[in-house]
Amino acid sequence: MKNSFKVIVLFLCSILILSGCAGFQTSNSDEGNTNEDGKTVVDFWSFWGSELRRPIIDKIVADFNASQDEIEVKHTYSPWGDIWTKELAAIAAGNPPDVVINDINATAIRGQENQAMNLSEFYDDSFSEKFYPELWNATLYEGDSYGIPFNTDTRVLYYNKDAFEEVGLDPEDPPETWEELEEYAAKLDVKNGESYDRLGFYPLWGVGYDVWLLNANGENYFGADNNVDTVNVNTETNVEVLNWLKSWRDRIGEDVVNSYQAQIDSQQGNPFFSGDLAMLVQQPTFYTQIRDYAEDLNFGVAQLPEYEPGNGHTSWGGGFVAEIPEGSSDPEAAWAFIEYLTGPEAQEYWAVQNFDNVANIEAAEAAAQSDEFTEEGQMVYQMAVDSMENTLLTPAPVEAPGFYNYINPKVDEFFLGSLTAEEALAQAQADVEALIESNQ
Amino acid sequence: MRKKGWTMRRKEGIYGYIFIMPFIVGFIGFTAGPLLFSLAGSFTDYNITSQMEFIGVENYQSLIVEDGLFRTSLWNTLYYVALSVPLTTLGAIFLSALLNQDVPGIRYFRTLYYLPAILSGVGVYLLWMQLLEPGTGMVNLILSWVGIDGPNWLFDPDWTKPSLILMKLWSVGGSMLLYLASMQGVSKSLYEAAEIDGASRWKQFIHITIPMITPVIFFDVVTSLIGGFQIFQEAYIMSGNGEGGPANSLLFYNLYMWNQAFESFDMGYAMAMSWILFVIVFILTIINLKLAPRWVHYEGEEK
Repeated sequence: MKNSFKVIVLFLCSILILSGCAGFQTSNSDEGNTNEDGKTVVDFWSFWGSELRRPIIDKIVADFNASQDEIEVKHTYSPWGDIWTKELAAIAAGNPPDVVINDINATAIRGQENQAMNLSEFYDDSFSEKFYPELWNATLYEGDSYGIPFNTDTRVLYYNKDAFEEVGLDPEDPPETWEELEEYAAKLDVKNGESYDRLGFYPLWGVGYDVWLLNANGENYFGADNNVDTVNVNTETNVEVLNWLKSWRDRIGEDVVNSYQAQIDSQQGNPFFSGDLAMLVQQPTFYTQIRDYAEDLNFGVAQLPEYEPGNGHTSWGGGFVAEIPEGSSDPEAAWAFIEYLTGPEAQEYWAVQNFDNVANIEAAEAAAQSDEFTEEGQMVYQMAVDSMENTLLTPAPVEAPGFYNYINPKVDEFFLGSLTAEEALAQAQADVEALIESNQ
Repeated sequence: MRKKGWTMRRKEGIYGYIFIMPFIVGFIGFTAGPLLFSLAGSFTDYNITSQMEFIGVENYQSLIVEDGLFRTSLWNTLYYVALSVPLTTLGAIFLSALLNQDVPGIRYFRTLYYLPAILSGVGVYLLWMQLLEPGTGMVNLILSWVGIDGPNWLFDPDWTKPSLILMKLWSVGGSMLLYLASMQGVSKSLYEAAEIDGASRWKQFIHITIPMITPVIFFDVVTSLIGGFQIFQEAYIMSGNGEGGPANSLLFYNLYMWNQAFESFDMGYAMAMSWILFVIVFILTIINLKLAPRWVHYEGEEK
């Protein structure tokens, strides 16, 4: 007994010694911060690894590295599914990267949780004016920004001009209101027995129910500045909107909706390309698919229609920020890179090469005029820029992280018919309120 | 060098420990350490980066008393385990019984049925999402040939979990191989003796084959029970947006835990969840082990 005890003690000691040899590094080591040329190394993580995007971001990084001789940015690609859990683990271990691209909608929460650094020490008052205010505000926690907006998106209405002409609608006059949308859609429908040869429109392809709620309300579920004193999930307007959305499904029929959905999911077979669908809400980047798969399509773009005349063409967007994780070894150098990344030159390059909405207003407006776009490309991009004025983000309040996880299932049940709109929204409202209470 | 205390036996013992050292270090560093850390963390409001304050049993209390999604996720998981474990076990036994026959080309059949087991992960899930597509998928197409109007599978909350179970049944090849190996090991003389006594093939199967492979059945049930409770990827991928939809019907225990840990950054809460799951699985495994002597037959064992 005693002997075996000794062996175990001896053995545990040897583990300690061995693990000492391995030298677990928990603190920031200063090695690796500067390279052999004496430049400060900034470790930059993004999830842009596709054939399309990687060369673009690598070019931006190379341009930055060539523009000065103090800092060397090293770009590391990490897959979409891993990047932020990896970042979190690196922050907890005290050895994070210096700049990370992260989701704009949870920036305030990451600020509150000390994951991202408070950037207010780096920028002055006029800095925020470079960006769309809606994007900038989404990065604020207690008035300070925790990530600088990089790119964004919006939702616009694509419509088939030939189909408009065919049924006697003016191809230069897309629907302005929900009422017109319904009216035009009915005109554009070409029914063939139980199925359709051409469908006018269906609101839940390309976007979710929440975009229509946002469009009708002109604001998210929460109060001004995302305060959670008011939670507007269960409102009369929302009930009406949900019922309106469902009426489309009831009119067109479950089977038609499902079979079109399957074609939309398969990208190349999108019924909008073949003219089987006359109108579709999508992101501006959808244009690149039209360009690649349906170059002969005669189409137009418009802002989302208004709920009621004068209500506003509110659209919905998301986006990404460049942030400095807490514990970065050289925040000043990291900031210098972020400033370049969100500056006009890099932003315009990104916008033009990717056909992506960018956060920097000057760059976005310059991109819309870019000679590299075709006429159609310029038209879509200009619409994207115009739509940005009316685009809202739905960042999660710090008291309600993941609030949509509480609303979506109830709305699912409404669309499946097991709850009425009133019941679904009342339950969702109660669940979100309970969530807020548990986080206060 | 003192001879005393360093007998051959002792030395060998120490060598043994040195040889298994990598495992022990790994076990303490990567299994036992994190395990104990998560137990400690479950009593705190740990959020990975900025706070770790002791809050007593608050996490456990709100999980059990207040959290509706916790109950939904537990129910979903229990439903899945209760259906998938018996079905996949029966499916694997049935399949291996078929593949244990002496017919021409049996090797090709065995390969064919084993193939799905070596395919794994996201690719398979995406494939099944296409197969289960209500309007254009192959499953509903085949059902329509025999006049069945197929369900909406992954879009209908009542059918999402059965969809996953169907997918699991397709890939029972792994456990089928275990059963097949064990069936091959059953002594031919038992069957010959039974045949002389006039037992039918079915009787032989029930009274000889099944009892002889019960150790493998037991192993399979225990491991697939534990595996079933850990279901995560399937729901994360196949619920489209990773939220467990439609109508939370694919919100499994681990998916909800993951969301708490990495979306809400409520790691303490997630740790408490993992310990509740641990206790549930632990109890079920104990019950399994206690029940085992009643039905598991080990050859050469004294009755």
